[in-house]
Amino acid sequence: MSTELKTRILDAGYDGKIVIGDVNLQVKPGEVLALIGPNGAGKSTLLRTVTSQLPEIHGTVFLSEKRIQEIERTELARKMALVTTERPRPEWMTCREMVAAGRYPYTGKLGILSDADWQIAEEALRIVQGEAFGDADYNRISDGQRQRIMLARALCQEPEVLVLDEPTSFLDIQFKMDLLSVIRRIAKQKKIGVILSMHELEFVPAVADRVACIGGGRVACLGTPEEVITGRNLEQFFGLQKDAGEEVARGIHEYAQALRKWIR
Amino acid sequence: MKRDKTSGTRYVSALAGLAVLLFLLAVLNLCLGSSAISLREIGHLLRGSGESTAYDIVYNIRLPRILAGILLGGALSISGYLLQIFFANPIAGPYVLGISSGAKLTVALAMVFLLGKGITLSALGMTLTAFLGSLLVMGFVLLLSGKIKNMSLLVVAGVMVGYICSAVTDFVVTFADDSNIVNLHNWSMGSLSGIQWSGVRLSATLIMLGVLAAFFLSKPMGAYRLGETYARSMGVNIRGLRIALILISSLLSGVVTAFAGPISFVGIAVPHLIRGWIRSDEPIRMIPACFLGGSVVTLMCDGIARTLFAPTELSISSVTAVFLVPVVLTMMVRRKGGRP
Repeated sequence: MSTELKTRILDAGYDGKIVIGDVNLQVKPGEVLALIGPNGAGKSTLLRTVTSQLPEIHGTVFLSEKRIQEIERTELARKMALVTTERPRPEWMTCREMVAAGRYPYTGKLGILSDADWQIAEEALRIVQGEAFGDADYNRISDGQRQRIMLARALCQEPEVLVLDEPTSFLDIQFKMDLLSVIRRIAKQKKIGVILSMHELEFVPAVADRVACIGGGRVACLGTPEEVITGRNLEQFFGLQKDAGEEVARGIHEYAQALRKWIR
Repeated sequence: MKRDKTSGTRYVSALAGLAVLLFLLAVLNLCLGSSAISLREIGHLLRGSGESTAYDIVYNIRLPRILAGILLGGALSISGYLLQIFFANPIAGPYVLGISSGAKLTVALAMVFLLGKGITLSALGMTLTAFLGSLLVMGFVLLLSGKIKNMSLLVVAGVMVGYICSAVTDFVVTFADDSNIVNLHNWSMGSLSGIQWSGVRLSATLIMLGVLAAFFLSKPMGAYRLGETYARSMGVNIRGLRIALILISSLLSGVVTAFAGPISFVGIAVPHLIRGWIRSDEPIRMIPACFLGGSVVTLMCDGIARTLFAPTELSISSVTAVFLVPVVLTMMVRRKGGRP
């Protein structure tokens, strides 16, 4: 597996209006890239564009040297999977069925699942530790369980690149830790390239290899968590008051150090 | 491990149950009516012996009517189910969104206009006109749905659009005094009476086409249940699917309106009842079961409409409303309490 996601001088936005411009990013197999930045900075817009949900305004998104807009739908679905902030509310659907829905790009005309497909769904359920509520109605489980199921659904697609939009928002700390552990583990074990957006800076160093901070309509800085989450950047891009940045950044890294032990 | 075995057994037994019900209702409808005919007599008739008036009643009146009930009822239920997938909401159907009334209006207008010129509209012409009317109102509802995100409000808007269409239809029917149009009144209230073999054949062809097309869309429809973004990320052609859903749903409800006028609430209530029975909303399971369910409900309601005050006939919509409105109301109340 050597699928690599790359953007070149990408401008992303809606209706020709650029929200975030001149983006040059790259996610290698097995690497976790985190996007951080204040609300409205354009993280979701960027993620929607790199997953081909939105067309590029200028520039190009590449998946293994191929322009993403030119990859056939099913082929793309076999290479890239998503966990979004959307909350589906399907009726009469068990968690196991939700996970198995990820087999879509592999099934035939009528979408009938083979025993092998169910096996893969079961394995995905096991990875997120969701076997216990596999038979439960998807609408009747907790938010934390729901996120795990959506992650399992994405894994069921057997992607080489995994894109997650704020996967840990609104979850309790224990669920955040569980979910990020799973994400990090599958990235490393299955050599899947992961790109995810996050608001919780203290979790970023524990899960991400590299971080892109988005601000001012562009990728303001890119590097290791230590290089990007600095007092200066917190003040400049997250609106922290002068002198607060250094202290908060130090606190974040200390907290992250504690989490790292449990998330790696 | 596969998913639990009981769900498969449950589904098969539900299908079998529906098929048995449908058969019993068909036999009942064949025997009962303004002149009761016994089963033995019907056996004789179908073997080609027996009295000729009875043969006429069974073969030329009751049998086509029963087949029409089966076909049109099934079509209506599938039409409603497709709309529910489209709007991602179980509170949708061709009648409550005004689509049936739109078809009714265009058919009435075309008939009156052409009759004035001495031309009788053919069955195919009526069907096409009804299809166009369905599409027109559907287009209008889609425009509204861009502005009104709340499904309940959209349904209210649809009901109002339906009222306007019905009012204009009444106006047209009342002031057109041609004797042919007297039939129009019955039709515009919803009725399966007067359907002939030619109509059965035409509607059977169109409905089978529509239902088969829907069945072969069950895979993308299933993925669409997870919402647009997830469906697209799995490889669904969203635009193509949405257009197909609208076209098929409008075709099916158009055929029904062309032959039987607007029949109320079957499209919204039957899929809901079926979902609860088979405990699944998977399109590949829902489509066959919804078709059978729609047939059963329509055949039952038509039987009651025909026989309750025989020889006077009720409009079928009065009967379906009495049985199905409570179902729709319970569904709305429960959703309100449970989730957004």
